[in-house]
Amino acid sequence: MSDLPVRDDGLATKWPDGFAKARADLRALLVLSSLRALTPLKLLELARLHGSARACLTAVREGRAGSEGDRRYAGDLDPDDIEAAVSACEARFVPVGADDYPAQLEHLSDPPAGLFVRGRPLPIPGSVVAVVGARNCSGSGGDMAWNIGRDLAARGVCVISGAARGIDAASHEGALAAGGHTVAVLGCGIDRAYPPGSRSLLARIANEGTIVSEYPPGVPAGPYRFPARNRIIAALARGLVVVEGAAGSGSLISAEHALDLGREVFAVPGAVDNPLAEVPHTLIREGATLIRGVDDLLSDLGLDGAGTAGVGITARLDVTPSERAAFDRITGTVLPETVARGLGLTVPEVLPLLMSLEMKGLVRSVGGRFQRRIRAMGRV
Amino acid sequence: MYGRVLGVTLVGVRGHPVVVESHIGRGLPSLTLTGLPGAPVQDARDRIRPAVESSGLEWPLRRIVVNLSPGNLRKDGPGLDLPIAMSVLAASAQVPSNRLAALAFVGELSLRGTLVPTPGVLSVAIAARRAGLGGVVVPEANAGEAALVEELEVVSAPSLAQVVGFLRGTWRPQSVGASPPAVGASHDVDFAEVRGQGQARRALEIAAAGGHNVLMVGSPGAGKTMLARRLATILPPLSREESLEVTQLHSIAGLLSSGGLRSERPFRSPHHSVSLAGLLGGGSSLLRPGEVSLAHHGVLFMDELTEFRRDAIESLRQPLEDGRVVVTRATGAVEFPARFTLVAAANPCPCGYEGDPRRQCRCLPHRVQLYRQKLSGPLLDRIDIRLVVPRLSKQELLGEEAGEPSSTIRRRVELAREWQRPRYAALGYPCNGQLPGPLARREARMSSGARDVLSRAVDSLALTGRGFDRAIKVARTIADLAGAEELSAEHVAEALSYRVNLSEGSLARAG
Repeated sequence: MSDLPVRDDGLATKWPDGFAKARADLRALLVLSSLRALTPLKLLELARLHGSARACLTAVREGRAGSEGDRRYAGDLDPDDIEAAVSACEARFVPVGADDYPAQLEHLSDPPAGLFVRGRPLPIPGSVVAVVGARNCSGSGGDMAWNIGRDLAARGVCVISGAARGIDAASHEGALAAGGHTVAVLGCGIDRAYPPGSRSLLARIANEGTIVSEYPPGVPAGPYRFPARNRIIAALARGLVVVEGAAGSGSLISAEHALDLGREVFAVPGAVDNPLAEVPHTLIREGATLIRGVDDLLSDLGLDGAGTAGVGITARLDVTPSERAAFDRITGTVLPETVARGLGLTVPEVLPLLMSLEMKGLVRSVGGRFQRRIRAMGRV
Repeated sequence: MYGRVLGVTLVGVRGHPVVVESHIGRGLPSLTLTGLPGAPVQDARDRIRPAVESSGLEWPLRRIVVNLSPGNLRKDGPGLDLPIAMSVLAASAQVPSNRLAALAFVGELSLRGTLVPTPGVLSVAIAARRAGLGGVVVPEANAGEAALVEELEVVSAPSLAQVVGFLRGTWRPQSVGASPPAVGASHDVDFAEVRGQGQARRALEIAAAGGHNVLMVGSPGAGKTMLARRLATILPPLSREESLEVTQLHSIAGLLSSGGLRSERPFRSPHHSVSLAGLLGGGSSLLRPGEVSLAHHGVLFMDELTEFRRDAIESLRQPLEDGRVVVTRATGAVEFPARFTLVAAANPCPCGYEGDPRRQCRCLPHRVQLYRQKLSGPLLDRIDIRLVVPRLSKQELLGEEAGEPSSTIRRRVELAREWQRPRYAALGYPCNGQLPGPLARREARMSSGARDVLSRAVDSLALTGRGFDRAIKVARTIADLAGAEELSAEHVAEALSYRVNLSEGSLARAG
């Protein structure tokens, strides 16, 4: 994998000099970033025309730029209120041009003019990997994302994702479990917790990791804000891993952003008839790197061997010979009958074995069938 | 001008003798009913005169007062038509009164004087026997059920004219033979027809052996209804007393198609739109037993459990706990027996495909959560066995051979029931499923391995106290099926596999 471009690799910053340098410009940018109809792309055009954020805001207020709604709204907004709301949720505003504004965002055709950030400082570029996938993930998909998150974090790689349910949440949690750095990019205001179920996860990330949003406090989640959020995830990451995704899901959009930006894309395959493997398979056909698990990912990223101390799975669980035999019969997702027939046993004889394996965390039951847990690989 | 005849009114399943006395006096022609007659009995006033006149008898054109005693008991049901008519005929001396005192009469009359099939005749006959009467006069169609009562003469009459003929000695009723003894139940479904579903078959066998209630969660088309229907076929056959109770209830509900004993276990599957009265019993006139009572000694199947009204689901607690249901009305409380095995079925989520490997669930997570909340709660506490029924693929179905026939499974179930009967005889519980949790915990004898598995389950499966008791009860039944005195680690592990957690995101196991 090639070295990632950093700030001074010849990529000229898109924004005019001194766009948000002065304090007054910063306050003007806060107002500008609150205007809903003023997309990052339009703001970039305005900035090139007028130079400073203050001049842009004046243009909007005088009706020379932006929509009529923006003009009225900009007149009502008080930058002091926005600043107060930002500090009330313990966030800070990082405008373009600031030292901690991530340079990789300049790779986007429509970079945000500033980011709202909570928690730890943003990670150094080049050591960030995104893990994304289905919200309605399967149990094994969730396990996979959790493992990837944990093993990346344990090697000092920051895990970035979107704090949604399913794969996103699992990868954040895996990273937190390893005590590593994780970044959640929100598709709503920096003070919001969306989805509501992720409130406690977001609180932990705010403490131990970083929460990022391009939206000021109070902005609700909206359907078009998630693709926009996905572009930031892709831009901030060095590579992007897609664990599961059904046809037409947002994971495909994230992967397309990543490909546009020249980021490496990894995909975890599944069974061909598994609807959740649709997006990974599409990506693999289009040239994404197939990974069979976290080991493949680590070696492709050149991270294998480094920093594994204390993480790897050491404990070999004791299983009885008959449990071991039953475990060996579980290929894919199988009915208890199938295991029983393979062993020449009856269903009532095989159920205690499967239950025992389940209690040892080696097998899980999914809708009346049984499958191996990814965490069990190599432990039996 | 006085006549006195015995009838019977029903309170719940019990018949109560009613003295029907008539007085014919001077005054304008009229018929007055006193003694707390219910609406259907009031109806009889206008029905009886045409019935008497059509039968070639004379209706006294004078002032008639009919009194039903005891006066504090509300009389309901059309079965009092015949006793009221006979009482008037006795008062007008159209029938000899010498035999009247030893007979109970029951039957609804048509305007032409024929006796139409009447619900609850078995209960009437039992009450007549208990009151020490020698015989009972019943409609021809109900003779079979009345004949189930031993040491009671059954006079089966097609119409009022024949009843009068019988009392005058001009007509002899056909003798009603005792109905054939209860033969092995004949069901039209069998477990041999079920392909695959090994875990569900096993779970239902355990449910039958221990009298446990079952919840089946599965996608549409997985076979939940098919499996539930077959549970009745592996329950042990009804004893004679049980058969009589079942027949009595079905007789009152008017569901006895042919006379005689109901020997097969009932299977009732009320639609989810059932009213509370339909489920528990009630009705505006004659109190009709509800679905829970019609499923007495059998299976109550509630398909689409989440679609039932919340109060309907909650109302099942009392029958599940006590094996009876008390319907309280303005006129008093009436009790019906209702000891059934509950089999509930539900989809895993509103769209039905959560956990299905070949179809993607399209439900929003909070909708799934709301849906699952309907499934949880106190009713779930009374369900020991909960399992996921997978929808089988064509391959999986083709790979399976047809299963064991119901008769083979039923033999094992009967043995297991024999095995557990003496254990709780002193405590008054017939089977493991009805044992209160703390008692099950105290009574269970288990190996150290079993104790080990249970204590590990408390940690790894987040087993709750109630879940712990349920696992012990089910493990006890599994041991009974195996003929073991002591719970082994395998028994407990298998019992733990019949638990699905419904409150969390996916169908994982937990307390």
